Amino acid sequence: MIHATFHHGANRIDSFQITGHADSGEYGQDIVCAAVSVLAITTVNSLQRIAKIPVQVDNRDQEGGFLEVHLPPKLEATAELKGQTLLQSFADGLRDVATNYADFVKFAETKD
Amino acid sequence: MLMNMNLQFFSHHKGGGSTANGRDSAGRRLGTKAADGSTVTGGSILYRQRGTHIYPGVNVGRGGDDTLFAKVAGVVKFERLGRDKRQVSVYPVTEEVAK
Repeated sequence: MIHATFHHGANRIDSFQITGHADSGEYGQDIVCAAVSVLAITTVNSLQRIAKIPVQVDNRDQEGGFLEVHLPPKLEATAELKGQTLLQSFADGLRDVATNYADFVKFAETKD
Repeated sequence: MLMNMNLQFFSHHKGGGSTANGRDSAGRRLGTKAADGSTVTGGSILYRQRGTHIYPGVNVGRGGDDTLFAKVAGVVKFERLGRDKRQVSVYPVTEEVAK
């Protein structure tokens, strides 16, 4: 089971954490894992390449199954807008995956 | 830190085989609890972990379950430790400004 948690600070998503394994199929055929992976990794890379945000990334690439990303507390307006757009799109997509594959993905949002 | 597009990042690794699995404990909510550059009070938990994925630095203590916590109020800094390790430190605001 994948656990995805998005943390909301003041009117913004300021961090997210994804842990666990989907276990919806054999290695290489796990479509739920692939969906979550592509959404998460695209977001992490886009935050850095498109929004130019120096995010703090904590992932266990060797073992897989653990990814945590934090945004800096303060950002310049354009970067903040791009960053939040990417994060809200990511959360939106992941929420849909969790809705349709509830046996394999749990989606949660927390606030301060 | 860009990530490699590994579509099986959240999948068990090769050789898992199929046995009577399907059980899973609840997520332990490990990881960072105070972001780099944020201000914390003394005693605040900075990082939950199993083992020392991150080491205690200046003004930071390590609990029995390897949780890292701030000994003083100040600004959180994640730093490199040696060649391939990382540590977290807390610098009191006055010290931070003087640097």
